This record gives sequence, structure tokens and C-alpha cells, in this order.
Amino acid sequence: MIPMDLKIKSSNNQRFFVSQKSSVSKTIKIALAGNPNVGKSTLFNTLTGTRQHVGNWPGKTIEKKHGCLKYKNKSIDIVDLPGTYSLTAYSEEEIITRNFIIEEKPDVIIHIVDAANIERNLYLAVQLIELRANLILALNFTAYAEKKGIKIHEKKISRLLGVPVVKIEANSKKDVDELLGLAVAASKKCTEPKKIRYGKEIQHHVSEIENLIINQIKLPSHLDSKWMAIKLLEHDDEVIGVLKSFKNSCQVLEEIAKVRRHLEAIYREDIDTIFAEARYAHIEGLVRESVTTDLQKNISLSDKIDSIVTHQIIGVPFFFLIMWLIFQVSFTLSQPLTWLIDHFFVFLRDKIILYLTSVSAPNWTISFIGDAVIGGVGSVLLFIPNIFMLFLAIALLEDTGYLARVAFIMDRLMHKIGLHGKSFIPLLLGFGCNVPAIMATRSLDSKKDRLLTILINPFMSCSARLPVYVLFASAFFPKDQGAVIFIIYLIGIAAAIASGLIFNRTLFKGLSSPLVMELPPYRIPTITGLVIHMWERGVSFIQKAGTVIFLLVVSTWLLGNLPFGVDYASQESLIGRAGMFIAPFFKPLGFGTWQASVALIQGFIAKEVIIGTFGAVYGVGSEGLASVLQNVFTPLSAFSFMVFVLLYVPCIATVAVIKKETNSWKWPLFTVLYTTLIAWLASLIVYQGGLLLGFI
Amino acid sequence: MIVPLSNVKNGQRVRIKCIDCGFGLKRRLCSLGLYDGTMVEVVKNDSRGPVLLKVLNSKVVIGRGQAMKILVEEVR
Repeated sequence: MIPMDLKIKSSNNQRFFVSQKSSVSKTIKIALAGNPNVGKSTLFNTLTGTRQHVGNWPGKTIEKKHGCLKYKNKSIDIVDLPGTYSLTAYSEEEIITRNFIIEEKPDVIIHIVDAANIERNLYLAVQLIELRANLILALNFTAYAEKKGIKIHEKKISRLLGVPVVKIEANSKKDVDELLGLAVAASKKCTEPKKIRYGKEIQHHVSEIENLIINQIKLPSHLDSKWMAIKLLEHDDEVIGVLKSFKNSCQVLEEIAKVRRHLEAIYREDIDTIFAEARYAHIEGLVRESVTTDLQKNISLSDKIDSIVTHQIIGVPFFFLIMWLIFQVSFTLSQPLTWLIDHFFVFLRDKIILYLTSVSAPNWTISFIGDAVIGGVGSVLLFIPNIFMLFLAIALLEDTGYLARVAFIMDRLMHKIGLHGKSFIPLLLGFGCNVPAIMATRSLDSKKDRLLTILINPFMSCSARLPVYVLFASAFFPKDQGAVIFIIYLIGIAAAIASGLIFNRTLFKGLSSPLVMELPPYRIPTITGLVIHMWERGVSFIQKAGTVIFLLVVSTWLLGNLPFGVDYASQESLIGRAGMFIAPFFKPLGFGTWQASVALIQGFIAKEVIIGTFGAVYGVGSEGLASVLQNVFTPLSAFSFMVFVLLYVPCIATVAVIKKETNSWKWPLFTVLYTTLIAWLASLIVYQGGLLLGFI
Repeated sequence: MIVPLSNVKNGQRVRIKCIDCGFGLKRRLCSLGLYDGTMVEVVKNDSRGPVLLKVLNSKVVIGRGQAMKILVEEVR
């Protein structure tokens, strides 16, 4: 057993290629590296248990997970590096991984390898060895590989690579404990990996450049000259940038360019291909000696499932069936919980108000504690069952491997608005709740795809807006309720598509990101894995969005109750005055009353609050609301109002989560302004166009 | 005969002859095992949308636009 002694550690800032002189401590630093979908998270979970610290890499939106544990009286710090296929500078994940290895110099790196796909996985191992990482290979899914007819002789690989190799199942405590023992042993002495054989010609030129660097440039000790030589030869922009900061670099770079041209001329290939070929050739030789394959000819279950779910005709309907089930199940399961939370807070509020009245506390204190504090906390917690259920559903789709298939079948459709298939799930989840939807964009590779998907997400009409539509549709279009609500949803989708097209041609012009992704084999997810997945995302939502939501709820309460002595949200209150002030802006849209304005301001907290606010400002309960509204709205202005509610500022929670996910205030502010502008224009067109066409 | 990967039919095995794209994408393809000389099997190509390949022991999806830039040679 691993004695668990988990502590939360804050991440320290890092800059490019600056060696972190760690203070003298006996903590062993271990990093986990590996390709995506090889069980790295499972291993991390088995190692650290359920309590682990999730944050972001400094200045990045990529998750950084780490945990501390004790093993035989030694404290160990484990960092889960992002999943990467390579250590070029292609993606942020790759840059983070290699900078971490160079700068933080972890004592040991455990590279987790999918045994069923060892050749591709070793491509990363070779590059880790190039980087002089103190490596241990952990072969995962060996049982599965053997069933497929792939038998790996780990001792031979170990001998050929010169690093310890061990077979594990990432969810087995025993295996992982053994691995940890090996890692602790390896941390004491550096392994001496065997040289990677690139072939004589390349080898010769790498040494030539290495000597050139050693002779001409004063490299700091944490930069390895051979690795630099390889990367410079490969034309790695980041490393070239680093070299340029030294004296004499121009000469060296010129010389390197000459060698590169020479190699490209001999091999008649570009330098990337030359190195890829050399590395794969080395791996092939190694695999030939240490792996015996007797591939079973029968079609695997994975292939059978794929032939259905990626089918040209069946694929898409099957996907919608799955999504329908997810929404049904998650909303049905979360409803009783939501009800419970709601009633608990009502109960709590009543009890506290009763108590405060009994001690004759001033009215404003009662209202503050009852409406703002408890109401505020309640409105945050009310979201939680729904959000957690949707997070669980996403985790399930992700961990089984189905999510990648969805991306595949939806790619053609999404391509039309300049996105990939991968963006489809976040957009679809938006119909449930925009918050988990925006957090789900983490699965997208490129920054541009993420931003674009986040920015158009609020137009997917979330479930909280539905009650508003239902109220208005039943009051004004009793015969065509369904059709009217459907049209509203379609307008949302149209706004999303149109915005996607506009952003693609303006904000993100020229930033096309190619679709290249792996379809991982189907796997049965572990319950712990799913729960941890759901939990850490859910908790991070509560922590980050919760504070913002709470603060805004409290400040709206203040606006509704100041100056002292006014009725809540009445015309004399600050919010009422604000409503009066902005009402003229809504006049051309057909709803220029201060009441509607106040409802819209309150709707910023959460869209479902709009109904309650109408009730408060008109002084009626939910039963009488429809008839009151019929007096102040016409069918046309009601429809215009619905369109506005659909499109204008997403709720606070969404804005807060955009802030968190984009790591800046720029995009949430942009979203607020942009959506309001679009909403205003769309409602204007609806109302004025409707008037012209003779509707009232 | 050399054709773009986007024209290869389902179930066919081909050898990559030449990849005509920027070095960023090229590095990504290399890291997934796709470079000049590798054998790939086209698992699914519906003449629209992305192409599904089998490379080494994994399945890889490549956008149609990218598949057009990969020239391949049929293998009997």
C-alpha cells in the first residue's frame, strides 16, 4: 500500500528554458509522460488517489495536475505532464512537456506506453532519451496486447534502450506500487540510456554541430549540447530562438543551415522526414528483437463497433440517440437533487428569517441574509446537480473513446463554419448548460478552435432559458407554442453559425488548423476515473464560478434595495432607476418598459430569474403573470423579447467560466458586448420588420 | 500509380510517397507514424468528410484537406 499523505502545492512560475534551482530538499520529483489515451490519468489516479491538485500551467489554459505522496518515508511529488506524441514545438502541450523536463529537471520520468501500439509510443521515448531524461518505461495494457497477439519481452527492450522497463496495469495498486519502488530506486542513480542510432551520416553531422556549439557558444549547464544540435538541425523555432540569445549564434546557425541543406540533398527528403525515418528505423530494429507479433486475423470488437458508429448513414442518428439519452438521464437524475437543494434553501431561509425576526433584527439585515446570502449561495448550488451529471456524461463519452468518433462523423458538417468535428459536443452540450459546454472545449487542440467554440456557445439556448420561452409562448401563442419555441432555438443556431462564419473571416482569419487525430481503441472506463473526472471539473466550477456568481447576486440585491427603504426592485431602487435609464434603448425593440429592463438586468444572474423578477415588479405570483404580461406585451413584442432573451448576455456563470477558460478578461467582456449587440440587432429586425409586415 | 490519399478506396493498403504540407503539420504526422515510405490502410473514405486510416497499430483520422496533400502509391 502507498501511504497517502497528500498535500496541495501551488505551482511556481516558469519561464522558457530557465533552470529552476530547486531548494535543497529530499522530495523526489517524478513526472508522468506519454501519448494521449494510454492510461496516463488512470496511473496518476492510482498513484495519488482521489485528492490531487488541478490547476493550469502558468499562463496556459492547459490543465496541470500534481499530487504529493509518501512512499517508504520518502515524500514524492508527482506531476502529470500533458499527453503528447512528440517533443517538437508543434503544440503547446509539447512545449510544456519539454520545457518542464529541461527547466525543472524531474528526478525520474515515467513514460507510460500502450503495449498494443508500442512502435508509435516509443517515438516519444526516443525523444525523451534525446532530452537526457532519467526514464522508466511502464508498459500498460499488456494483457490486452497479448490477447491481440503482441508479446513483449520487456527485459530485452530494457537492455536495448538502457532504461528500466516494467509491465503494469495502470489501475492495479500492486503494479503501481512496484513501479513507484522502481522510480525511487532510479532517482538515486541516473540510468545511462543506449545511444539512439540515427545512421552514420546523420550521426556524423549531429556530432559536428555539437562540437561547433561546444566550441562557439557558452551554453548554460542545464542545456544539453547534443539535444540542442538535433533540434537546431531539425529547425526547431523555439531552440533557434534560444540560441540566438547567445554570442556567435549567427555563424553557428549558418553552419547548421548548410549541414541541413547537405542532408536534405543526400536523402532527397526534408529534414523532418529524415529524422522521423531515422528514429522510427531505430525503433523498428528494437521492436523486431523484443516484440513477437502474431496478429489475430479476426476483426476486433473495436472495429465492429466502429463499423456501426462511424457508418455513413447509421452513425449520425446513433449519435443523436446517445445524446438524447444523456440529456434525458442526466436531467431526470438531477431533478430530484435540484428540488432537494431548492427546498433545503427555502427551508433554511424561512428558519433563519424566523429566528432573525424573533430577535427583532432590522429588516434590511433579514432581507440581506435571506435573499442575498442564502439566495446567492442557493443559486450557485442549484446549478450543481445538472452540471455534475453533464460532466459525468462527458467523462463517460471521453473515457470510452466515443467522443473521438463523434468528432469524426460530425467533421464534415462543422467544417462549413470553420470548425472541426471535435467542437460539436461542446456546442450540443450548450443546449443543456453553457457552463459544462464551455469547459468541455478543453478537448480541442488548437486555441482558435477553442475560442471560436467558446464564443458561439452562448447562442445555444440553454435549459434555463426555456421557462421564459414557455411563459411567453403560452401567453401569446397558445396555439403554436411548440413551433414558436422551436423557431427560437433555430434562431440561436443560426446566430451561432453566422457568428462562426464572421469570426472565421475576421478575428481568426487565416488561422486554419488541420484535423489530425487518433481514434483511441474503445475501453471500459473505470468508475473511479469517471468520478474523479467529474469531481475535479465540478469542484473547479464551484470554486471559480461560484465566487463570481455569489458576488454578483449580492450586488444585484444591493442595487435592488438601495437607497434604504425602497421596495425590492421597485421603480425607486437603483436597479429600477437603471431600468428606467436603459428602457429607451429597448423601445425600438418593442419592450421599452422599465419593468422589462429590470427583468433583463436580473436575467444576467441566471435566465430563469427573469420570470421571478417580472412577478416581483408587477407584484403578482406565477399564476397571474401571464395575464399581466398580455397587457404590456403584444405578440410581436413578446416574440422580440424572447429573441432578445435567447441571444443577449449569457448568465454570470457562463461569463465567469469564459474568463476562467480563456485566462483573460478580454473574451468574457467581448462576449458580453457582442451578444448584447447581436441580440439588439436581431430583436430590432424582428420587431421593426414585423411592424412593416403588418404584425402587431 | 500515385494518387492523393483522399482518392483511395476503403480497405486499400498504400505506401506514402510524398507529403506536401507545412512543417508544423508534417511533424504532427510524423509523430503519428505518417511519413514518406510508411504503409497505411484506408479504413474509411466516404468521398466526403475526413479519412480514417490505420497506421502502425492505431487508427488516425485526417481531414479531407490534409488527405489531399498526401500522395500515395497503391500496394498490391
